[in-house]
Amino acid sequence: MKVAMKIWRYDAVAGERALREYEVDAPEEATLLDCLDLVKDQLDGTLAYRKSCRMMICGSCGMRMDGAAVLACKTRMYEIAQSGHVPVISAMGNLPIVKDLVVDMEPFWRKIRAVTPWLEPGYSDPGERENVVSQAEMDVIHKESLCIMCGCCVSECNSMEADPDFLGPAALAKGMRFVGDARDQARVERLQAYSEAHGIWDCTRCYFCQERCPKGVDPRDAIAKLGAEAMREGIDSDLGARHAKWFVTSAKTTGWLRETELVPKTQGVVKSLKEIGFAMSLLRHGKVPPPIPPHVAKHVDEARALYDLVKHDGREGADGIVQIEKPLSRLEHGEGEDGAAERGPYGPGSFAKPYLPELSDESESSSEGRHA
Amino acid sequence: MRTVAYYKGCLASLSAKELDIATQALAPKVGLELSELEAVTCCGAGDIHEAEPDYYLHLNARILAYAEETGTDTLMTVCNVCTLNLRQANHALKGDEALLERVNRNLVSVGAPAYSGGVEVLHFLWLVAAGEGYELLKEAAHKGLKGLRIAPFYGCQILRPSKLLGFEDPDRPESLERIIEACGGEPVDYPAKIKCCGFPIIQAREDVALAELIQPIEQAKEAGADAMVTPCPLCHLSLDAWQSKLRKQTGKDFAMPILHLSQLIGVAAGLDESELKFKRHVVSVKPVVEQLAI
Repeated sequence: MKVAMKIWRYDAVAGERALREYEVDAPEEATLLDCLDLVKDQLDGTLAYRKSCRMMICGSCGMRMDGAAVLACKTRMYEIAQSGHVPVISAMGNLPIVKDLVVDMEPFWRKIRAVTPWLEPGYSDPGERENVVSQAEMDVIHKESLCIMCGCCVSECNSMEADPDFLGPAALAKGMRFVGDARDQARVERLQAYSEAHGIWDCTRCYFCQERCPKGVDPRDAIAKLGAEAMREGIDSDLGARHAKWFVTSAKTTGWLRETELVPKTQGVVKSLKEIGFAMSLLRHGKVPPPIPPHVAKHVDEARALYDLVKHDGREGADGIVQIEKPLSRLEHGEGEDGAAERGPYGPGSFAKPYLPELSDESESSSEGRHA
Repeated sequence: MRTVAYYKGCLASLSAKELDIATQALAPKVGLELSELEAVTCCGAGDIHEAEPDYYLHLNARILAYAEETGTDTLMTVCNVCTLNLRQANHALKGDEALLERVNRNLVSVGAPAYSGGVEVLHFLWLVAAGEGYELLKEAAHKGLKGLRIAPFYGCQILRPSKLLGFEDPDRPESLERIIEACGGEPVDYPAKIKCCGFPIIQAREDVALAELIQPIEQAKEAGADAMVTPCPLCHLSLDAWQSKLRKQTGKDFAMPILHLSQLIGVAAGLDESELKFKRHVVSVKPVVEQLAI
């Protein structure tokens, strides 16, 4: 098949960027990485990109296709080529570009190092017996352990774009991998450190990390688990944690969010007073609902009683965080009548469905022929 | 008429009442009969999920149970955050029998109905962007928008995570554009339409949130938009109410009117000011109103 691509070339020395178009003849099962190899071999040896394992485990070939971070070795090109769309390939976001599709990963590694990404077992001498951990205990952090540190989650992180010091989804997911490890003895210290500025409470919940991760780590869920664990330990002085607590109080007392009180409860009275001018501008348009009389939900006593029952059940912290996917399973994407399927630019289900070539004699021989 | 259980959530009950008013007025014109849920609470907005995860699950199960009790199979939301929270809880409850049983035991013991798993949570946007709802919308939007240039702003939690939301391609959504066109407006394209408005951290990290917020407004302005439209009242609140803070911070006065989705369709469907409530917006919608002379 013919695969056309536009690639953002970048020369850091000259500081020049250019969008160049290439077309290669590739076998039907070719990935984006295969196509880049063909470009480099046949058309332009100066093209720079990272690669190593070619099988989604080394995490080297993170890059953007049409603005979305992908692993080049995981991305099949068949449906895109068939649709006639010419994708734009560029370097990942939120990291400095070294050349073409190669980014400087140093800021990424600095943040990984900042979360103490190793086990703190609390002893230096391992002793004579192994420390056996049950499968059930490891299941808790199974997803976080899948991270290959490719940087795809970081590429489109909206909080990191706004605040380059934000620890970000990869480092925080790595943090959860150790906070949830039954052998780790530095749990509380970790939670305290991750709860500081640029940590857990800086996540804006844009869910780009969850969308981009090629390994199913679900970093946003990992950050929610850290938040839940921190609050279980009473590490809740950050404005973000106080904000979250006010929602619980609201649900228990009136059922609905007590919106007007949210600001002083989160920011404190003194800081809120400084915002009085802003508050007045909102008040004029009915954006500051009066707290009295409170807007109380019907049968709110049920919500109150539920709180006590939940406390009695004791399913707290990360254990309670809803996992979109359970460890070791993947959701199947349906192609409903109303679904995006038919309207996607690459045809039915293309944004979710991997291309699997049909294994007939004909297609095998024909693709081999094109190889040669 | 399709009967749906209607969960308006906190904002449409309080600071964004105009969203509720416009939605209720518009619903019959697009074939929806709303059965409003009264004995329900906040979905937790992602905050209770983090502070008290199990309580979050119970509160949302209770909302789903009351929706099921109305006899419909659809719970309609008008907020991105409610949509994700309810769909996430629904997914967890439907996929785990033991969990559903424990939660139901607790629900019943406090006097709430049990939930059998028979409800699907759908945002109002999805009900009118495809199928019969879309056909009815095209008929209802008879007054048009006179080619008004509208920038769609999706926000996050109606697109991502697509594993839970899944209505359309999260990177190339089209639902709002389809609706703008059906209403006789001209959709304006810009890259930040699928990015975050910063609202979840606007209290705790205002500077970070404002650095996110400025992108869509600035890009929409540069692309020549007369107004922006969003399906989420939280996005609406930050885009509309926090715009003055951007002016203070950057000196740029975008004066960008922000419409709720129900208002945009409502204008094209001929709703009047008592049903649109534009006076409740912080950024004046007057330029839009004048252009349309409604």
